[in-house]
Amino acid sequence: MAVAKTDAINVLNTDTAKLYTHIHPILVLSAYYFNFSSIVADPVSSLIKFLIPLNVLQIAYVVICLPATGTAQPPPVLKSSGMKPAVQKKSPKGKSVSLASRITPALLSLTLSLALGTPLLGTILILFGAPLTTHIHHTILCAAHISLLSALPLIYTHGIDTDKWRRIAALMIPLDEVFGAAVGTCIGAWIGAVPIPLDWDREWQKWPITIVTGAYVGWAVGKVVGGLLVKGKVIDLRP
Amino acid sequence: MGTRWRTRNIMLAIANVLVPVAALIFATGFFPYKPFVPGLAAYHVLEYGEPPIPQFDKVIFMVVDALRSDFVYSHSSGFRFTQSLIRSGQALPFTAHATSPTITMPRVKAITTGSIPSFLDVILNFAESDTTSTLANQDTWLAQIKNKRDGNGKLVMYGDDTWLKLFPNTFERSDGTSSFFVSDFTEVDNNVTRHVPHELRADDWDALILHYLGLDHIGHKAGPLSPNMVPKQQEMDGIVHEIYEAMNTFSHLNSTLLVLCGDHGMNEGGNHGGSAPGETSPALVFISPKLKTISSGKESPTLARRDYDYYEKIEQSDIAPTLAGLLGFPVPLNNLGVFIQDFLSLWNDSTDQGQLLLRNALQILDIVKATLPNEQYNGLTSKADCDDDSSPGAELACMWQEIDRDLKTGGLAGPQNEVTLRLLFKFCRRAQDIMSSTASNYDLSRLMAGIVVAILSLILTGLAARNHSVLTNLDGAFFLLNILLYGIMMFASSYVEEEQHFWYWVMGGWLFYISVRKAQKELSVSPPFSFEGDSAPEFLILLALHRITQRWNQTGQKLAGAPDIVHSFWKQYPMLLWCFVALTYFQAMTRIGNHVSHYLKAGTLVGSACAVALCVPAFIFKLAFTASDAPELLVPLMGEGGVALFQGLPLVSTARMIFFLIASEIVWACASRFYIKTERIAKRDLITILHTLLTLFLLTQTRATNIPLFVIFQNQEFILTALALTPTQISVSTLLLGYTSFFAFGNSNAISSIDLSNAYNGVSGYNVLAVGVLLFASNWAGPIYWSEMEHLVVPTKVEQLHEDESPFFSHIALLTLFVTVSLVAVMVACTALRTHLFIWTVFSPKYLYTMAWSIGFHLLVTVGMGGALWLVCGGSENYGFS
Repeated sequence: MAVAKTDAINVLNTDTAKLYTHIHPILVLSAYYFNFSSIVADPVSSLIKFLIPLNVLQIAYVVICLPATGTAQPPPVLKSSGMKPAVQKKSPKGKSVSLASRITPALLSLTLSLALGTPLLGTILILFGAPLTTHIHHTILCAAHISLLSALPLIYTHGIDTDKWRRIAALMIPLDEVFGAAVGTCIGAWIGAVPIPLDWDREWQKWPITIVTGAYVGWAVGKVVGGLLVKGKVIDLRP
Repeated sequence: MGTRWRTRNIMLAIANVLVPVAALIFATGFFPYKPFVPGLAAYHVLEYGEPPIPQFDKVIFMVVDALRSDFVYSHSSGFRFTQSLIRSGQALPFTAHATSPTITMPRVKAITTGSIPSFLDVILNFAESDTTSTLANQDTWLAQIKNKRDGNGKLVMYGDDTWLKLFPNTFERSDGTSSFFVSDFTEVDNNVTRHVPHELRADDWDALILHYLGLDHIGHKAGPLSPNMVPKQQEMDGIVHEIYEAMNTFSHLNSTLLVLCGDHGMNEGGNHGGSAPGETSPALVFISPKLKTISSGKESPTLARRDYDYYEKIEQSDIAPTLAGLLGFPVPLNNLGVFIQDFLSLWNDSTDQGQLLLRNALQILDIVKATLPNEQYNGLTSKADCDDDSSPGAELACMWQEIDRDLKTGGLAGPQNEVTLRLLFKFCRRAQDIMSSTASNYDLSRLMAGIVVAILSLILTGLAARNHSVLTNLDGAFFLLNILLYGIMMFASSYVEEEQHFWYWVMGGWLFYISVRKAQKELSVSPPFSFEGDSAPEFLILLALHRITQRWNQTGQKLAGAPDIVHSFWKQYPMLLWCFVALTYFQAMTRIGNHVSHYLKAGTLVGSACAVALCVPAFIFKLAFTASDAPELLVPLMGEGGVALFQGLPLVSTARMIFFLIASEIVWACASRFYIKTERIAKRDLITILHTLLTLFLLTQTRATNIPLFVIFQNQEFILTALALTPTQISVSTLLLGYTSFFAFGNSNAISSIDLSNAYNGVSGYNVLAVGVLLFASNWAGPIYWSEMEHLVVPTKVEQLHEDESPFFSHIALLTLFVTVSLVAVMVACTALRTHLFIWTVFSPKYLYTMAWSIGFHLLVTVGMGGALWLVCGGSENYGFS
């Protein structure tokens, strides 16, 4: 095969990264949980406000935990021991350089996921049944949240290579915590539509709260499942 | 063909035979035929002497179809004069609760007999030709009035011909109007009104019945907020005024009661049939100058207490016994209504009041005794409280014993009168409650038998399809998951009401799933940076087309009446609509021309002639039909004059001609395959011809606003065919597209969404079979269209199956599996939830729809028509289904 096989993304081999990657979903979900009642009460302004903490957390996550595109280390299993990273970690110079070199792609991914990912995902949401003539702000914000959850880390780790993204769209890259989270976000958002027709007449059944909630829960589940249980496996749907 | 496959074929065939058996056994237990007591009621002989003298000698019963309570009572009502009568006390207003199904025939039955008609009347309403549903042999207030003056009572009727069908040979004079085109707001009512002046002058009748349809038509057409609504209300109010003046002027009318009522209401979308508050709350006003003695007037206009509840809420069935008391005839035998309390004070004598109510109660007691014969009604067990009795029967028996005891000690006269009246009312109301809840009428053993047979059918299908390649792959897993979710969904009333969301949702997931499968296959063979064979655009187009169909018609309960393409967009851009409609017919024309010229080898000239002869009349028919059915869509196109021209065309003969031409070309095409040995038509060409002709038939059965959906379908079909799907994927797509198109056409699981407008194309008299077929074809047009995709696509894909496996067998096995699972799920849901609040409003209609899907669609269309196509088109040449 002409293309080099994409490997599963590994979390950076630092203690902070290994720790924070587990704390991160807890932080995001608790933040969402504490904002939930205000999102239900006033979806548009609350979802706009909540974009800021989500941005900060996601940027922190990719900067602390993930290898930026093109800098992916070979998987640790191939190394004889954990020597080299340990050396790296001890070098203050190396750390600061890598931090600065990570923030730039992180901000770039943020811009791309907001500027490109949001309209694209918004269109897909509408194709999947989101309202078009009403609630357009709700739908755009829903797309922005899904984009920040799923696309930002993907862009950060995989870049913007067209062929790579065709494989991502076809679910043909190995599962890891980044890709797993992205798949989980989409499935979660899709399943999130289920409670809407129920006649319970609750405020939270209104568009797009269930979709956003489904996306957040799916993202967390996908991240854990992809990073721990099925890491490296590929979703093979070829007939 | 090996024995293993022969066994499987037989198992599948038996499973399909069991489907209608199970459905019908269950139906007989679920919709029991309500027996009625025949004959006319006579007065019970009582110790209190003759029945009280009547207060009125004539009645004018004015029904305004779909007259919802707020149309008369609210601040925005056009009934200004009626409201002034309410204020002055000459009119007594009520909200009369109408039970589901809220369609005219069962409502007229309830109003006239006082009974609650069985749900089966819904079906009979559509098949109202036969005598099973007439009230000729039943006791009604019409029969009682006719029986007055030693059988010389005279009734006159103008308006909805439902009354003429229900009461054959009852009316002295009559003029029926039929609600054929709901676009007719004026003519249908003028035909009634023109009889009013001379009938008011005539003094020979005892009852004058008027049934106006215009207001209902406005509702169906444009909803309760239509600009035509208030003027129509004012017109109806004017008739009330005219009658009221006559009652004051003519001496023969000075003891006449005018009843103004709706048979049912309407929902926000202007439709009815279900049980939304708007649909079940018609207005009911009793009008006579005499009523001033008992009413000092009520505030009017006023506000609803909640959801269309204005003034006192009574049951619609209460009308019958109230009329009986006021006009002086025995309460009809099958009545479950209760005399309206407000009218009791028209009689000054307290014994008279008691007697009226006692006669009502005795009549109800007869029904109670007939239904619950095992209770002791005459004993003298002295219980302080009847409420703690375990069974409803025991409770009623206890209540009657209390009344019995009370009557024996004090009687109706004297100081105890008020207690007796209270006891009698309590008994009647409770009996009404208990006897109308049909919970006791289910035949549980039949319900169980139906479920067992359905499960047997499911097991047989499962055995026939076991280890089959169509079920043991990923697509099969998706399909099974879909079935499982659907089955679970049948237990939740909201998901039954909003079923369209399920199919739209699954369809989105399915398109994504097959697109990913396709992309993975392509990406693993194609070189990088090559977009050759990239099918992403196709899937985006499929998704977009799917999204458009979702918004075509808003259906279900929650979003009924919300803006959609049919009701908002086409109203705004009718020219665009007609461009699409013309395009659809033009496409059909070129296809037919090609088929006849090339496939049937008749030459270009004959081909063009055939195409024009078929499609031009079909298009003209659509224009003429729309000119009558929805003229507002045509006026911008051709002006009022053009519309009038098209309205003059003969619809029935044009439709007959189209059906005849379609049928003859089908015969021609089939004959050229079987009887012409030389130059036999190829089987694929034959399928294509039949598909085009079927599409033309379905177009004839579809409203103009839905016709562009066929353009969408054809594009979806084109793309799906090009995608080279596997047989399982084709079967699953057929199922999903069939259901999504059903809902996209505006159908739902509610009775109110049945579209009757095209059921009478080419039918002049009444023909149950023809109307049934046309009704089914017009409501299931989408699923019928998609059921043929299997035959258009599959034969080229045979190599993917194992040897011996007929693709038609796999297709039928998959779809039978779905049908049996849905049947079992709906049956179990209806049985388990038979005491649920929504059983008659949500689950029973769903069961009727499931019967239509499994017997009408699955057996007749998928298996029957599909099997015929399979055989005719030579499926047996290479891989037989035998």
